[in-house]
Parts: sequence; C-alpha cells; structure tokens
Amino acid sequence: MRVVIARCTVEYSGRLSARLEEATRLLMVKADGSVLIHSDGGSYKPLNWMSPPCTLREDEATWEVTNKAGERLLITLHEIFSDHAHELGIDPGLVKDGVEAQLQLLLSERPQVIGDGWTLVRREHMTAIGPVDLLVRDANGRHVAIEIKRRGEIDGVEQLTRYLDLLNRDPQLAPVRGILAAQEIKPQARVLAADRGIDCLILDYDALKGIDDGRPRLF
Amino acid sequence: MRFTVERDLLADGVGWVARSLSTRPITPVLLGILIRAESAQLHLSAFDLEVSGRSQVEADVSEGGTVLVSGRLLVEIVRSLPNKPVEVRLDGSKVSVICGSARFTLPILTAGDYPTLPEMPAAAGSIAGDLFATAVSQVAVAAGRDDSLPVLTGVHVDIEKDRMTLAATDRYRLAVREVLWTNDRPDIAASALIRARTLFDAAKALHGTKTVTIGLSPTGGTEHLIGFAGEGRIMTSRMLDGTFPPYRHLLPSESSSVAVVEVATLMDAVRRVSVVTDKTVPLRLSFSGDALRLEAGTGEDAQATEEISINFEGDPINIAFNPTYLTDGLNALEESYVQLAFTASGKPAVLSGRTEKESGAENSYRYLLMPMRYPN
Repeated sequence: MRVVIARCTVEYSGRLSARLEEATRLLMVKADGSVLIHSDGGSYKPLNWMSPPCTLREDEATWEVTNKAGERLLITLHEIFSDHAHELGIDPGLVKDGVEAQLQLLLSERPQVIGDGWTLVRREHMTAIGPVDLLVRDANGRHVAIEIKRRGEIDGVEQLTRYLDLLNRDPQLAPVRGILAAQEIKPQARVLAADRGIDCLILDYDALKGIDDGRPRLF
Repeated sequence: MRFTVERDLLADGVGWVARSLSTRPITPVLLGILIRAESAQLHLSAFDLEVSGRSQVEADVSEGGTVLVSGRLLVEIVRSLPNKPVEVRLDGSKVSVICGSARFTLPILTAGDYPTLPEMPAAAGSIAGDLFATAVSQVAVAAGRDDSLPVLTGVHVDIEKDRMTLAATDRYRLAVREVLWTNDRPDIAASALIRARTLFDAAKALHGTKTVTIGLSPTGGTEHLIGFAGEGRIMTSRMLDGTFPPYRHLLPSESSSVAVVEVATLMDAVRRVSVVTDKTVPLRLSFSGDALRLEAGTGEDAQATEEISINFEGDPINIAFNPTYLTDGLNALEESYVQLAFTASGKPAVLSGRTEKESGAENSYRYLLMPMRYPN
C-alpha cells in the first residue's frame, strides 16, 4: 500500500470525461494495482479511481493510469507532501454474521414466539419465484408466510407481496397471509405492509437466542 | 534446497499438515507450509496456533534447506500432479516444482517469524488406528455445532488404566464409546476435551495406521495439549476449556421395553417415511407386538407410513424422534442389528448394536436419543 498526499489535478477520459481541479488530496496505490483518489470528507468513496487490472506509469510530475478498456486517469502532481509505502500482507477479510440465516433458523425452531400454538410447516418453502423464508401455521391451522430481513424496507414488503400472490393461487394453502419479520422496520415499509394487509414483527436476535426452543433435551 | 520425492508420499504428507493450516490467520506466515529437507527426509509442518501438524516423508535430498510456501497452493499443486517423481528445488526467491512435463514456480514466504510448533506431549499410551478412527467417528456425530456452547463442540476423552471412554453430546443426543487401549503407565487416569471436528479429521486420516500413540501434557501445566502420532505423522491440539457435563447418570440402567431390528431395514424405512416432512419434524414410531409402525406428516400435509416386523419385548410404546438424529445413531453402529431400549415415551431411548438378532447387546457403544414432543 502506497499512500501519497499531494496537491494534484486529475483528468479522467474513457466512458466520459471528468476533471478534478488542483487541490490537496490523498492518493492510494494498492498492491493489486488499483489507484484511488480521496478528498478529506464528502464521501467514504474515492473522488475518482481505477480498479485493477491497470497499469501505472510514473513520470516526474505525472502519473498515467490506464486499463485494458482504454480508460485513462492522468494525475498531475504539483507538490508532494508525503509518500509512504507499507507492506500490509494478506487481509483476513471482513467477517459478517449471517444474521438473516440465523434469524430464520432461530425463528423456525421457536414459532411459538409469534403466537401460541403456531407451528412450522417448512423453512425455505419453494415457490416459482424463489423460496419463502418460513411457511408456518397459526393456532387455527391457517398458513402464514414469513419473510425475514435484518432491516425491513419497502423491498421486503414487495417481495413478500409477490410470494403471497403466488401462494394464494394454491388451493391447498390459501388463504395465506404474510408477516414481515425484521430487527428493525422502516416507517414507509410499515405503511406499505399495512396497506397490503401484511403484519410486521420486530425480532430481537439476542432475546430469540436466549429463549429455549422448547425441544426436550437430555439435560 | 533440492530434492526428489514420490508424488503419493508427498500428497499424503502435505494432506496431513494441510489440516492445521489457518484459514483466517493473524499473520500471513500461518498460511504457509514449512518444508525442511535434510538427510533423506522431508519434514513438513503447519500450525494455526491451536492445532499443529507435522509429517515426515522419505525423499532423495541432494541439497538440504528450509522454505515456507503457500499451503493452499501447495495442496492444489500436489493434488493435480501426475503420478511421477516430483522434483522440488529452490531457485533464488522461488520454489520450482517439476513433475513429468508440468512445472510450477511458487514464491517463498518469509519464514523469519514462523512460530515454533509445540512439542508432541509425552506418550500416555497407544491404540490401533482403525479402532480409534471408528470410535471417534461414532461419538463425533453427536457433538454440538453451536459455537455459543463451546464445551459441547468437543469430544470428551476419559482414560482410566486400560479403558478409554469417548463421549459427545449436543444435549439432544449423547454418544458414548468405550475401547481398550495400551496404557504406558499402569495407573493412569486422565481426561481431555478436544474439538470434535479436529479429532474426527485426525482419526480418519490415521485409520490405516497400525498404532496411534496418544500423548497428553501433564495436568497442571500451562498448556493443555493432546497429541496423536503414527507412522511419521504428528498432530497436537490445544484442549477446549471448560467442564464437560457429567453424563454417566443420563444412561438409564433399566428399560421397560426392548426392540431389535435390522439396521439396514430400519434405516431404509426412516429415509422413505421422512421424505414427506422437513428433516426436523418428528418421525413417529409405534412399537407393539412384533411390528414397528413409522409415520410422518400431519393434518392436511403429505403423510407417509410404513410397517416393518421386529422382535419386541415389553410394554407397547409410541415415541417420536428427529429423523436426522435417529439416522445418525443408526449409521454409527458397527453391527447389523440395532437394539432400541425404552423406559417411557418422554424419556430418552438407548440405541446399541447386536451382531445377531438373538445375541446380547454390545455395550461398548451407546447412543442415547431424546424423543421429540408432538401433538396427538
């Protein structure tokens, strides 16, 4: 990783033309060959960049970064304040907890959390347009489709609406109602869900994990 | 460094140590396999700070030396090579691997800060490789997979003189296997808790080994290590912390009814009947007279039933199991017949093997299975 702080102008030509006027910026040259130009704020994203594979040709005061598609980033360096390189080694990568999958598993083992007498029919119930996270039955034996999200947004409501439309064409299952279950649900999503007759359910991951799943155990 | 080695020997040696490669290393050196060539031997090693692996491979060494190369890459390369002698040599900062008409060059990793591997703990005794592999696989199946309960992801090994007892449980089932081993010290008494996955992989790889030496670090030491060695291969593993739950009292001492069935027949029936449900939905079994009726599915859903003839003695019983857990238990048996012993429909059942329908139950392996509740 090479980190350069310099007063520079940047010109990009390729699919379109773009220009960064003269200012002090951070230039990053990564081990994979990519070059990124950052300003101090405004966005976490670079102002401009070239992703690998690309080649960097350095002259005294200009850097020319080109890729196979013929795109070109021309960086003119007016004054260099710092230029450092560090060997970072191999990155172990970002570890994300599969929250949605975990929530699905936890809820499938504890359908009684939604209501007394609720039972699981199937996880990942297949429909022609994809699997519904959970198909369960309420205390009266009526089917309910549950879509599980980490954050409940409009998309989730739309998705569940499509599933419900398909599920309700199946006379074995109909009538099927829907529940959007998430750790948090956006107000717009709530309004749309209410309009479509879909219930919302807030899931507390930690509490769900702490609840005994009710399966008899040896100890 | 320069040597020539048989491909199969190299593949075995590399495969053994690759088990201990780190997948998410805190330093990049842990991604490497260390190759040391000296006096007609290759010494391969890998270490992820918890589990270490070492193997010795016979080779024709023309020039000794030590290099560290990417483990993942070495495994892939060796696996893909044709069955011909493999020549390996160090050219400057690259290692060349030449086999038949194929040639690879690998960059070397800096071996400077490679950690020192732990020593194999002092030998406590030994056991035949195939017996050990079978015993471990029989109990490892019942180990938990939930990392929030780390103690239950382990296999508990209890040693008392010439008797070794292996046990694992995920709270829904418990598997216990007793074996005889050759203890080096006559009055030895020790116990260890090892990650089931690690133990299972090591024991499986040592299946063809005549004798596996087991080493245990002395209790009260700073590092709790267990080691396995056999035919030029060594593995050490740090033990899991925590206390394994006491389990012996869970095994019922008597039963109110006993069924005997051929394992293959029961397994086929279980597989067929559980087709109609999710793998976690209860499979219902009714034992009475000389028949076992299996049922799955309820209400308006698809349903399946099958009836098989069995030997049955005692009070008729209706009981429900998780079909996956039941199949796991049946799979773990070495014998052709299974004996299922019950005390009540809400109490755990004990599976054990029988060589013949009429012979007595083998008590060296027991699989205790908790029934599921189901609405009538």
